Amino acid sequence: MLGKLMKYEWKATWKLLLSANILTVVMTGLARCMVYLMGQTGHSDFRMVDFMAVMVLFTYVGSMFAVCIGTTIYLIHRFYTSTYGDQGYLLHTLPVDTHHIIIAKVLVSSAWVIINMVSIYLSVIFLLATSSEIFHSMMEGMVDMIEYLGAERISAFTVIMTLIAFIFSIFAKVLKVGACISLGQLSPNHKLLLSFAWYVGIYVVEQMLQSIYFVVTIYYQEKISHSDYWNYGSYFDRQWETALLAGIISCVVYYVLTWYVMGRKLNLD
Amino acid sequence: MAPVVQCMGLTKTYGRKIALNQINLNLERGRIIGLLGPNGSGKTTLIKIMNGLLKPTAGEVLINGQRPGVDTKLRISYLPERTYLQPGMKVLELVQYFQDFYPDFRVDRAFDMLARLQIPPQERLKNLSKGTKEKVQLIMVMSRDADLYILDEPIAGVDPAARDYILHTIVNNYNRCGSILVSTHLISDVENILDEVVFIKYGSIVLHAGAEQIRRNERKSVDQFFREVFAC
Repeated sequence: MLGKLMKYEWKATWKLLLSANILTVVMTGLARCMVYLMGQTGHSDFRMVDFMAVMVLFTYVGSMFAVCIGTTIYLIHRFYTSTYGDQGYLLHTLPVDTHHIIIAKVLVSSAWVIINMVSIYLSVIFLLATSSEIFHSMMEGMVDMIEYLGAERISAFTVIMTLIAFIFSIFAKVLKVGACISLGQLSPNHKLLLSFAWYVGIYVVEQMLQSIYFVVTIYYQEKISHSDYWNYGSYFDRQWETALLAGIISCVVYYVLTWYVMGRKLNLD
Repeated sequence: MAPVVQCMGLTKTYGRKIALNQINLNLERGRIIGLLGPNGSGKTTLIKIMNGLLKPTAGEVLINGQRPGVDTKLRISYLPERTYLQPGMKVLELVQYFQDFYPDFRVDRAFDMLARLQIPPQERLKNLSKGTKEKVQLIMVMSRDADLYILDEPIAGVDPAARDYILHTIVNNYNRCGSILVSTHLISDVENILDEVVFIKYGSIVLHAGAEQIRRNERKSVDQFFREVFAC
């Protein structure tokens, strides 16, 4: 049943979210054309085409933000309406396990978050890479930074594990939203407001834990290295472990909370 | 064989408000049962608990001897009082959706009913009128061979002509080995199809009897008797 749930979740979301990604591609193309036109006009005089190019570039940046924020809002709205809104009456009377419902929603939502992030990164890289001057100076800057940090010793294994940790962090973020919406359902009134309050509360706790962790690790790093100079390569080499652990713990905690409310405390109005 | 529904001391409270109060009720198989009561009497709360959409505060409900869960959802066909359809879906996609999730869903029966109502399978649900959406939902629910059909106010939002069609659809399409529980406050419309009635008032069962028994003993129609029992 998990496969079927995922299929219908995908079918319900793909049109709008694919449109957002098509918008990204179109805006990237337009922005690249405008960068090219600006290059043709020379630097001495500011003409109409330059004005239009600047406007298009502003629109490009705005549309990238809109795609990110719009996708997030849409996925939150979709989770809420399909789980605890009217459509929840169908979802929760399907002969499927609550675990499957949660997993299907998390996997499809996470997939869209990743697709959107990749499309935006590719868009920016494409713009920079085809504007050779900017790209070359950026690449040189990055090489200098890597050399300075000593990060060239970061292994392929570290990179792969960092990517896995990153994917878990996406799952955790999606599950956190699901858990907060679910926890809001425990109240008979003002459910959405309570969901928002849960989100803010959890966010504050997360930030506090993260700050404590950074202070402690920096303190120990300095003690171990016996100097002010850090080897960032070895530092980052160990960061994926913490990130992965934090991601997995977050996933487990938010998953259990969501499952508890959906499976044990469901109260559809 | 165990009753299709067994409620034992079923209680549901919302804060201080008691929505259901110590409900004890057994519903047998092969019957059409009317769950009758005024607005706010607890009909929908009882139905939601049977479907696992609400958790009881105390007591227990068993469907086919099992607590609400995946196995009972396989055997219950539920029509809620509201529209639960995804607006962007086509009617055909909805049929496929039900076919995918419910092994007892009869596609031929669904298409037959859609054709008789002249609802095009390629039409998107968002383009249908409210009444047609309700009919589509009813068609999906009645196209299953379930043990228990739970219909919450199936005729409340439709015109009298459509009511006849809906009642006709219900009576002619249910699994004869199963039972139908119809919740409504429009008693005169459903009276003729009912085998049994359950009167519910302020969250308590005040009567559970055969429809014919009421007519014989009280010398009144169920509708007249209901008005007497629930007179303000």
